[in-house]
Amino acid sequence: MLSCKEASRLASQEQDRELTATEQVSLRAHLFVCTQCQHFAAQIDFLKRAMKRYRVDKDDK
Amino acid sequence: MLDLNNLSEHRRYLMRYATAKLRSEQAADELVQETLLAAVESAASFGGKSSVRTWLTAILKHKIIDMQRREARSPIVDVAAHLDEDTDLEDLDALFVPDGHWRDEMPAWGQPEQSFENQKFWEAFEHCLDGLPAKTARAFFLREIHGMETDEICQELDISSSNCWVMLYRARLGLRECLQVNWFGEAP
Repeated sequence: MLSCKEASRLASQEQDRELTATEQVSLRAHLFVCTQCQHFAAQIDFLKRAMKRYRVDKDDK
Repeated sequence: MLDLNNLSEHRRYLMRYATAKLRSEQAADELVQETLLAAVESAASFGGKSSVRTWLTAILKHKIIDMQRREARSPIVDVAAHLDEDTDLEDLDALFVPDGHWRDEMPAWGQPEQSFENQKFWEAFEHCLDGLPAKTARAFFLREIHGMETDEICQELDISSSNCWVMLYRARLGLRECLQVNWFGEAP
């Protein structure tokens, strides 16, 4: 079982590279049981959307 | 029509955009000035089909490419770019207890997109971007704004790919933490 430290690293890397099958399974297993890391993963997804919005123009509707 | 009132606000964004690509803040500043000048001069040709920011970025992008072409002809060795000052993982340990669990609770952010409509959120967001270490911020900008893949970013910053992932991880942890404290923690 991954620690939160390892899981959060993988969750971040998932945005930057294709995880190996083993990594994906370990990450999913960890996220399944860990609310803290679920929140972390949702929050870094949000950061990605925020950066996208920031790039286009925050005033754009 | 082009609304020139927001130019100073766009300027901060353009500076970040250019600095990520150019290594030197001075060069970035120069190009951003030129961009804003060009924008003001050709304001009439702005058709409003894209956002002002997208339009300004397009002008800046051309100027960056021009400058890089000029620099390619007279290469300068950039010593600072070879230092991996931001890739040390040790200080990230402070976010976790020794068994690898989070030290602090990670509260849910609810419907964070609602903050997009709030000008104060973007002030907090820019404040948090400013708080990132310089090279980390560059890596994150190249990834999320310039849309580069990690192998390109490694080349650009002259670091290994594992260091690149560490930097992006660090950027996300830092931004998350800062927004938690400065924005999402504040909400009732």
